[in-house]
Amino acid sequence: MSLSRSPSPIPGGGWASPGLNIASGRSSPAFAGSSSTPAMWESSRLKRGGASGYPSFSTKNQSFFGRHMRRISSHLPRFSSSTHYAEKKKLGRGGWSVHNVPLLGRVKGILGRMGRKMKIRLLMLLMLILAIIIFYNTPLVYHWRRSIWFGGGKKFVIILGANVGGGVMDWKGAREWAIERDSERNKKKYAARWGYELEIVDMSTKKRYAHEWRESWEKVDFMRTALKKYPDAEWFWWLDLNTFIMEPSYSLQDHIFNNLEKNVYRDINEYNPLNITHPFAQTYLDAESQSPIGDGNPGSINLLLSQDCAGFNLGSFFMRRSIWTDRLLDVWWDPVAYEQKHMDWAHKEQDALEQLYVSQPWVRKHTAFLPQRSINSFPEGACADDGIDQRFHYNEKDRDFLVNMAGCEWGRDCWGEMYNFRQLSYYLNRNPWERFKEDLVAVLWFKITGQKVTL
Amino acid sequence: MHFALPPRKTSRPPPYLPRTSHLPGLRRTRLKLIALGGLFFLALIYLITRSGGGSSRHGLPAARVPKGNPPVVIVTVLDSTKFSGTYLQTVKQNRLQYAEKHGYQTFLAKITDYDLEGSPFSWTMVVAMRDALTKFPDCHYVWFLDASSLIMNPKLKIEEHVMPSARLEELMRKDLPVVPPDSIIKTFSHLRGQDVDLVISQDKEGLSTSSFVVRNGEWARFFLETWFGPLYRSYNFQKAEVHALEHMVQWHPTILSRMAVIDQRTINSYAKGTTAEEYKDGDLVVGFPECVTVGPQECETRSKPFAQAWKRVFESV
Repeated sequence: MSLSRSPSPIPGGGWASPGLNIASGRSSPAFAGSSSTPAMWESSRLKRGGASGYPSFSTKNQSFFGRHMRRISSHLPRFSSSTHYAEKKKLGRGGWSVHNVPLLGRVKGILGRMGRKMKIRLLMLLMLILAIIIFYNTPLVYHWRRSIWFGGGKKFVIILGANVGGGVMDWKGAREWAIERDSERNKKKYAARWGYELEIVDMSTKKRYAHEWRESWEKVDFMRTALKKYPDAEWFWWLDLNTFIMEPSYSLQDHIFNNLEKNVYRDINEYNPLNITHPFAQTYLDAESQSPIGDGNPGSINLLLSQDCAGFNLGSFFMRRSIWTDRLLDVWWDPVAYEQKHMDWAHKEQDALEQLYVSQPWVRKHTAFLPQRSINSFPEGACADDGIDQRFHYNEKDRDFLVNMAGCEWGRDCWGEMYNFRQLSYYLNRNPWERFKEDLVAVLWFKITGQKVTL
Repeated sequence: MHFALPPRKTSRPPPYLPRTSHLPGLRRTRLKLIALGGLFFLALIYLITRSGGGSSRHGLPAARVPKGNPPVVIVTVLDSTKFSGTYLQTVKQNRLQYAEKHGYQTFLAKITDYDLEGSPFSWTMVVAMRDALTKFPDCHYVWFLDASSLIMNPKLKIEEHVMPSARLEELMRKDLPVVPPDSIIKTFSHLRGQDVDLVISQDKEGLSTSSFVVRNGEWARFFLETWFGPLYRSYNFQKAEVHALEHMVQWHPTILSRMAVIDQRTINSYAKGTTAEEYKDGDLVVGFPECVTVGPQECETRSKPFAQAWKRVFESV
């Protein structure tokens, strides 16, 4: 018997697979002879067979080949030793038709009638198509996108902070593992697609940080490590674990960096939830420090982040390799500042950065902001006080790039949100064939038969 | 289509050969080759100029190079609550004459010039330095000299006596605890002279801020602005900005790696003190660091012999 699916146990015991039955002499249930019902299930047949006590056994039609030999062999190519070339020609003479000439011959005929130039052109076209197919179906495209000269993917490093808490604060359950797995896979696929570097770092609570009051400044330290580890890279993108790249087809270059000056705003007055006085008015500062946009040159931007409803958000931000960045990473954590402020700073490193931005002209000069939805859209649950806000919340129609389920660990369902966004991302990024099947065929089928099908 | 006979030639042939539409040297095939070559060349240029997905299209803007006009700005904060008026006049004259001799500029600030948001007035020195950088963006060095010090040797120039790379490498003290006697943070042992942006000296208590030189540049702005940070000012450092500086140097390697500690007598001799500190004839500077703690008149009396000496020397040169 052919096994259409793998054998599996049935509730009543035994194996549902017909091929493994003792009474396997029959090719179909209908062959069950004396039974009045035309079709029977294997299990009932097994019971009946046991009752009759006659295990039927037959050598006929037993094996796969036994039953299908003829059908298969009739399709196999054969050597026609009996027919001669001359005879064939004679036969063809009577009624010449296209169908009698073999395919190869027909192609040869077309080629023969073609001019030399046409042949060369056709060949070049074929070569081009072949080259494109080879390019996109081999690692070539990956290496192209990765190389510094062509795609420039090596210049971007994604740093994903995984294993938050690391089983010290909480026992990690199935949902936490699932979140990690999905988030990591999402970033891995994205990085592989565009040839970026991916650095997954372990954010588990370590004694080092707990002891030095340095919790959540790990970001700073990991950023420094990454700067050392990837000497070719230019931009470093920090991502929290609870993020999901919704549109993997957007490359960072296209989405942000090729057109940096148009995508960012440097004057915080454009959106200023913290009411920071900007620009500086102190007369002892130079013109550049007093200017609302620094020097206005996109090349001087070294820190790119977004602001949510409550101020700076460091769930997704970019830093560029520069001396300035080294300095910022160095002074970001300072025991004197921490000692004075650790009771006020609920979001430790975020508040510290805000403080630096507020008080230090050299920090402000090189910081720029992205509109939140370009790298850090929120689900409805975050920043939810005033309902859906076009500035913060994910919008399916605009195909926002990334979702950050910020704060989902406080009373929201992280895994539920992650799952929904993952499914939505898959749905939005179906390929044309899937769209054809699901949007056209399945819909038509539903209209005709009233049944929903999944293809 | 074919005609039986070729078309007739004109019976009056033109005197010259008709000009062909193509240039004589360019055959059709060759033209194609040239076009292909040009296309290839353009593609190559495109690939080279875009260099790497456009991310580095915005290169870091070149840092502004100061022209050295003036080469040095001398910053002094004049505090009339701590010093007597005549003494401050002496200090002013001292700075102005020295600056005039070498084409320097002076930046004499008063303690009330800046809004310190309630911090001690001693912080004025930091913000005055920052102001000097703004007012003289083309200077090479900013030299802070406390009001309790006098310049004694008009022949020595900062950019020759202290700041050349080779000279700095000679002067700087390596592997020295930043805060004596036993701070575990020590000055770098492999620092090159060209990387030094802050030149400072150490007396027996720690880093001395009565005389130090900062090289104009992005680092200087970063350093001074960080030093002037509101959380440093609000923290209860025993010696306000001096201890804030010691704190910064010990906690932030980006600052320590730009600092050179040099022998005290090079820029910061004291009138009285240990042998390493004490002024000898020919030293650039003499300082009276403890005089302000005694009273406003004390500095004047202590500095009297030196004040006469520098006037004599300045006149003779």
